[in-house]
Amino acid sequence: MTKPAPVYVLGGAQTDFARNWSKEGKHFVAMMREATLAALEATNIEPREVETSHVGNFAAELYAKQGHIGAFFVEIDPAFSGLPTSRHEAACASGSIALIAASAEIEAGRYDLSCVVGVEQMKTVDSTTGGDYLGTAAWYEREAKGIEFPFPKLFGRLGDEYDKRYGLKDEHLAHISAVNYSNAKRNPNAQTRNWFMSESHAQHESKFNQVIGGRIKISDCSQVTDGSVAVFLASEKFASAWAKRNGLKLEQIPRILGWGHHTAPLEFATKVAESKDDAYVLPHTRQAILDAFKRAGIAGASELSGIETHDCFTTSEYMAIDHFGITKPGESWKAVEEGVIELGGKLPINPSGGLIGAGHPVGATGVRQMLDCHRQITHVAGDYQVEGAKKFAMLNIGGSGTTSCVFVVGN
Amino acid sequence: MAENNKVVIIGANGTMGAGAGCVFAGAGYTVTLLARSSDKAAAALLDVQNDARADAIAERISLGTYDDDLARTIGEAGLIFESLAEDLPLKKQFFALVDKYRRPDAIVATGSSGLSIAAMAAGRSESFRRNFLGIHLFNPPHVIVGTEVIPGPDTNPAVLKTAIAMLTKRLGRKVIVTEDRPAFVGNRVGFKVLNETAQLAAEHGVAFIDYLIGPHTGRAMAPLATVDLVGWDVHKAIVDNVFANCKDEAHECFKMPAYMNRGLEQGCLGDKTPERGGFYRREGVEVFVLDPKSGGHVPLIKPAPIEFVEGMKRHHRVGRYSDALKIFADAKGAEADLCHRVVLGYVSYALNRVGEVAASPADVDTIMSYGFNWAPPSAIVDLLGAKNTVRMLERLRLPVPKAVEQAAVNDAKLFVGGVLQYGRTFVG
Repeated sequence: MTKPAPVYVLGGAQTDFARNWSKEGKHFVAMMREATLAALEATNIEPREVETSHVGNFAAELYAKQGHIGAFFVEIDPAFSGLPTSRHEAACASGSIALIAASAEIEAGRYDLSCVVGVEQMKTVDSTTGGDYLGTAAWYEREAKGIEFPFPKLFGRLGDEYDKRYGLKDEHLAHISAVNYSNAKRNPNAQTRNWFMSESHAQHESKFNQVIGGRIKISDCSQVTDGSVAVFLASEKFASAWAKRNGLKLEQIPRILGWGHHTAPLEFATKVAESKDDAYVLPHTRQAILDAFKRAGIAGASELSGIETHDCFTTSEYMAIDHFGITKPGESWKAVEEGVIELGGKLPINPSGGLIGAGHPVGATGVRQMLDCHRQITHVAGDYQVEGAKKFAMLNIGGSGTTSCVFVVGN
Repeated sequence: MAENNKVVIIGANGTMGAGAGCVFAGAGYTVTLLARSSDKAAAALLDVQNDARADAIAERISLGTYDDDLARTIGEAGLIFESLAEDLPLKKQFFALVDKYRRPDAIVATGSSGLSIAAMAAGRSESFRRNFLGIHLFNPPHVIVGTEVIPGPDTNPAVLKTAIAMLTKRLGRKVIVTEDRPAFVGNRVGFKVLNETAQLAAEHGVAFIDYLIGPHTGRAMAPLATVDLVGWDVHKAIVDNVFANCKDEAHECFKMPAYMNRGLEQGCLGDKTPERGGFYRREGVEVFVLDPKSGGHVPLIKPAPIEFVEGMKRHHRVGRYSDALKIFADAKGAEADLCHRVVLGYVSYALNRVGEVAASPADVDTIMSYGFNWAPPSAIVDLLGAKNTVRMLERLRLPVPKAVEQAAVNDAKLFVGGVLQYGRTFVG
């Protein structure tokens, strides 16, 4: 197979994930509009230059009783009228699927500039109803129907599986939570940047930190978030011209160096049964990581400057650590104990604060991770910058480890 | 201060004292909450835990009383934060004690929302005066990050710099430095508008004014509902202070309405007196609204929709803020005139404070946006267009601030930032 054409990441913008757009009396198109207009301004791109858009969204049908989300891109600017747009859904990996679709089109030479937008408005409903909606990311009828907060329970079972195979101490999960909250304090767009968190609070069950499913306490969970993110992907042709007019060299612009995408069986029990003889609890996630590494031409995580991973729960970040090969399978706790994953550590994970600290607007998360990879590579991440970052990876997961998408970004 | 992580809060049992305790402990400081009695200090801790939504924050907090613990804890602290009632003699009495016991390098801050910093520092030692300043947090401090820092006449510039760095970097605050003038910038501008709407309510009714000057004009909450939330007593203290001590172009806007004074006499303080209410009173799901003429509450009847108001809301809802402001600017009629007068009055008064009490339009924008959750005045100017803003101000016979005039001449934008910074302040 010939090497595909390069895909450049020109940058973008995100909304402040602390905002509550229902309280602001707003429709999700306002969110898409603010993120996209700010992304155009941040990248010095004219609306008329955009050729196509891919929108990542999980469940606007449920949260906002609205389908046909791709078409809302056209509402953002009169210059977008007539553009080919589409919406992509793969639960919490929706944003990454939009990125994969956009990059595939650029690789194929169909378009030179694509605007990828992730959007989710989640605060339209109370937490129990929202928890039920999120249950549709699992096999609803079998794993979520009639269960209060099904997802914490499913990811609690991921922890239980680790415990069974290798042993797992909750103190390591609490530390993961505390690191994400601490990083989020450095991120001006993070939902929890002004919230209180301490390791001791994360470790203990209390009135304010109740167990909501198995071994998962509130402090182990990502947030219910309203947010939108827009990122521009471009062909070499567009990127060259864009670099020139912005006084940059093409080599300075981050590229998608590699990607991986695998889908496991929907039901968590089936996943675990399938992997019972495997060293990795979620082998398809592992494979997506290996694919991305191979395409990027890197030998392993040691060549990365940092990772933005899918910490929908502390257990999913715990899983990511060994699946990325940072430790041997089952030994994620070593990286946690040794401070490897902290800002300033050997391989920082979620300098942004991740889904736990920065927030998790489901369909926008993958796009937010891509934007943060771009910020890190171009050294504009401010107080959460990983010094001298050259290559970053992101892992975005839909369902209980069902859809796994990985990108390696660098220049 | 840099190496001393200990903070003492005096008056910790008040809303702002507990809020400040939550902010400092949340940022990793070791905090002592001081109150008149141990029961009050314990109540303050419960408030801090509720604000932080974490019992574990108590690990960073100790409690004490003025009689037993003030001398010792103040002697150890790197920062002493005073959050007593807005009562100058009371504050001065405590500052005399602080002066006596504090370390020479300890910073002393008052949380006052508008009393004179110079008056508070008067009579204290030189060391005290050099290390004394105002740190005005907005309510509730763990949510609202806008913060005013007010140096006194003798504040050491290095102390000011240390305080700003601490507030910005460790406490995540959006900080502006203001002059030591009554109510500083935020409350001066904010309560000008709030009191003006209260004055207008005497003639036009409470529900109508809250609808006409509602969240679509660039605020998280309707103005008179905001006064209920703040409390009528606090409102009166602020506007009376500005009325007595500032003679500016909007002097009459600070005159407390007579009907509010009558309400206060009867114990109507707003939300904190739910049985007596304020502009609004709730009985279960039923809402009653104040009739300023009779002083009684009558069932709330939603005002009839006004076309330009509904049009603005529709545009805000989908994020088309400049279209909404265009509808606002083009609206005609008595209602539109009233709305123009208040909103353009806000822009004029706010940006006219530049050079008097605020250093720049950006500082005014920061405090109105992050302290009040109101649209930054410069963003309103940009959305209306600077030239159009000048025309509207002239038509309304409102002073044209220098910054607006310059923006119009240079055809330049005034607001520093973009839609992501101001979008949240326009409510659909």
